[in-house]
Amino acid sequence: MSANFAYLNARDLKFILKEWLPTEEIFAYPQYADYYSKEDLDSVLDPCLKMAKELIEPSNEDGDSHPCQFANGKVITPPTFGPLFHKLQEEGWGTSNIDDSEDAMVLPKVLLSAVWEMFLAANPTFLPYIILTCGAAELIRDFATEEVKEMFLPKMMDGSWSGTMCLTEPSAGSDVGDILSKAYPTDNPRIFRIKGSKMFITGGDNDFTENIVHLYLARIEGAKPGTKGISLFVVPKYWVNEDGSLSDNDVQTTGIEHKLGMYGSVTASLSFGENNGCRGWLLGANSMENDGVGEGMAQMFQMMNGARMETGHSALACIANAYYNARDYCKDRIQGRLITDPKSGRVTIINHEDIKRTLLMGKAHIEAMRAMMYRTYFAFDIKHNDLDPEKRQKASNLIEVTTPLCKAYPSDEAWWLIGEAIQAYGGYGYCEEYPVAQIARDVKIYSIWEGTNFIQSMDLVGRKWMMGKGAVFAEFLQEMRDFCEAHKATVEAAAGGEAGLPDLSLGKEFAILERALESYSQLQMAIGGYMGQKKVGMLPLYARRILTATSQLYAGRCILDQAVLASRKAQELGPDHYDYNFYIGKIMSAKYYLRNVVPNVWAVADIIKDGDCSALDIPIGAFDY
Amino acid sequence: MKVLVCVKQTFDTEAKIELKDGKINDAGINLIINPYDEVAVEGAIQLKEKGIATEVVIVSAGADKAMDAIRTALAMGADRGILVKQDSAADEYARAVALADAIKKENPDLILAGHVAADDGSSQVPTRIAEILGLPHVNVITSIEIAGGKATCTSEADGGTAVTEVSIPAVISSQVSWNEPRYPSMKGIMQAKKKPVATVDAIAVENKVKVLEFALPAGKTAGIKIEEDPDVAAAQMADWMKNTVKVEVK
Repeated sequence: MSANFAYLNARDLKFILKEWLPTEEIFAYPQYADYYSKEDLDSVLDPCLKMAKELIEPSNEDGDSHPCQFANGKVITPPTFGPLFHKLQEEGWGTSNIDDSEDAMVLPKVLLSAVWEMFLAANPTFLPYIILTCGAAELIRDFATEEVKEMFLPKMMDGSWSGTMCLTEPSAGSDVGDILSKAYPTDNPRIFRIKGSKMFITGGDNDFTENIVHLYLARIEGAKPGTKGISLFVVPKYWVNEDGSLSDNDVQTTGIEHKLGMYGSVTASLSFGENNGCRGWLLGANSMENDGVGEGMAQMFQMMNGARMETGHSALACIANAYYNARDYCKDRIQGRLITDPKSGRVTIINHEDIKRTLLMGKAHIEAMRAMMYRTYFAFDIKHNDLDPEKRQKASNLIEVTTPLCKAYPSDEAWWLIGEAIQAYGGYGYCEEYPVAQIARDVKIYSIWEGTNFIQSMDLVGRKWMMGKGAVFAEFLQEMRDFCEAHKATVEAAAGGEAGLPDLSLGKEFAILERALESYSQLQMAIGGYMGQKKVGMLPLYARRILTATSQLYAGRCILDQAVLASRKAQELGPDHYDYNFYIGKIMSAKYYLRNVVPNVWAVADIIKDGDCSALDIPIGAFDY
Repeated sequence: MKVLVCVKQTFDTEAKIELKDGKINDAGINLIINPYDEVAVEGAIQLKEKGIATEVVIVSAGADKAMDAIRTALAMGADRGILVKQDSAADEYARAVALADAIKKENPDLILAGHVAADDGSSQVPTRIAEILGLPHVNVITSIEIAGGKATCTSEADGGTAVTEVSIPAVISSQVSWNEPRYPSMKGIMQAKKKPVATVDAIAVENKVKVLEFALPAGKTAGIKIEEDPDVAAAQMADWMKNTVKVEVK
């Protein structure tokens, strides 16, 4: 139990926001133009870095040492969580940012995400209370009537009330179409009587907000089976009367889960309408006036997609914090002598080849994933603000394709990457007095919640590959080919390697990306061939590996783009400049990632072309041995 | 009541200090409001929240980048700022002269500052300002009450506290234990950009201090390792402490 927020600075975030992404386009939109320019970003990021360290980090240790409890039907959260929730919400770092009214003072998504990354790293178990409130409030903002908006949004935006998403039930998890929750009409066509049970509800109850607003999936009696018939309801823990007072709404917490990690984050089981007294507001059209077809799943997908981005981002923040902690330890810990100079004295372990490799592996993965994610956050701002419909559509397409990558890739890699951070510590890494042990416990959930990473993989190969009859994904791949074509000539001319200076040329890395793109086409053709032969099982068999390869291809493109910029800057500044090492670090990250990680794309392509079916062919009885 | 707060921009207290060409190298260093001045800013904002102060004005003497320190104080809740443009090599005397000139033109009812700067640690500027302006000065305060044209200040004193009553205007410098400075809110940061900051040139005066040389403190020397049986090791350790380290036993 030794939480430690180890971001020394926000330099990589500033590079992304001020140097790499054209954020001036975002800050020119009317909603932000009065308040922001690129030059102002330090005034947001620097205090938030300080807040993460001084204000949020202590709550992480509190959460781990005072896990959520359930007693006498009530949930008790760690003591610091309530005050922190109210402080961040009241001071504009949370749900108030969903306000889309003309005079609202809000942060663009790409900047808020940078703030949240630091907060997430400082306490990953706390932030879901805020993130889920944002997602729930966004659904109300986008789909509710004015009456419902006025009833809920001001209280959610100022932190008086929190929010959740209620999908999973004891008998329906990944197969959400099988939910048993029911909604029954009342005299008011917008209000329904709700009956059902939900479980695994993050933030499903707490002891620090006056009310909890559940965004609840249920089937109106008589609606179609499966996901088609599902509708979405706003079901508050306490019913909001016309005068604003609250009264019981027959929502009970029946228990909380005891988990591997994330002790400060409540995971609740909830019962709705046990005494037939639970009511909820319908969002969107009544399914019974639409052939039994509800709008609930489509609406909830908006919140789920947002939550999927934040899940991947949480995993990234955890990996980064584990790596930064390990880096600091390796710079201090003295052990062993150099293999190249064994007669010299003992050295700090960061001087050993395998430790340097481990740390660069972490750094390269973090920066590649971060580049991938912030390019998508940038697209969110374009999609929501730009006047040009073509540009909005392009941004929307990128979001569609990359959301499963952003959710699953960091959360898949987090487990072993944090394992490598523990490895760098040696035996101390396995001890709870060092922070990486807790990070390992906390991070595992991200590959499971908000749709398991297998679901993300099937979303990629089942929906995103086919979207717009394949045109959307073809555009995604073509952009990467165009990127290679546009930069090939310039990188070959880049200086480097002479006079003992690092090699800044990137020709070999571009060749690897081009080869990976070619391999990816072969991979898609091989899968297409299997589908043509009606070998449908091959798709789920290889889906997760395809998602990993797709992510590595795209993250490789993103970090290589950053390296092109960094190479130019490093050459302009020269080795004596204080920022030279930052840019050299970016280039080395890209080199490592392209030359050690991206080749997995053709390894996966070769495996899929080979078409091994042993995992399908093995009799279930053979698993007994 | 108008409260004016003097702030200095200093290195981040966790910054690694390096020398280059015989001078402190500030390239790439994160700059912050002197933490002691930040306490004074918070104290002023609290006076405004209590309805005692009507306006909080921030004044800083320094190079253009000192504007960031002013904006940070504005983001915390101050109303407007004044940047007194001055060479960053100005000494405490030149700083005090420049600040006192700006303060005099503002004619505030109360002047607050941190009692010391985290970089040079000289603890001179607030006292010099009071002397130049002919105002009373109370140092290292941990609380303040304003009533009836007087400030009642509690300060740290040897073995206890001292309570001092002075007429205002006065120069009051804060101890860190006065309060816990707030983090700027998101709206505070956004609004800070629109708050007015005037820029004026500093009065040109010669430094009274001439810096001859900067030097970093000597690095820690390595310890010794005695690999002997405990009785021999203890004797060797005692000898090392007495004759090499020259520990004095009184």
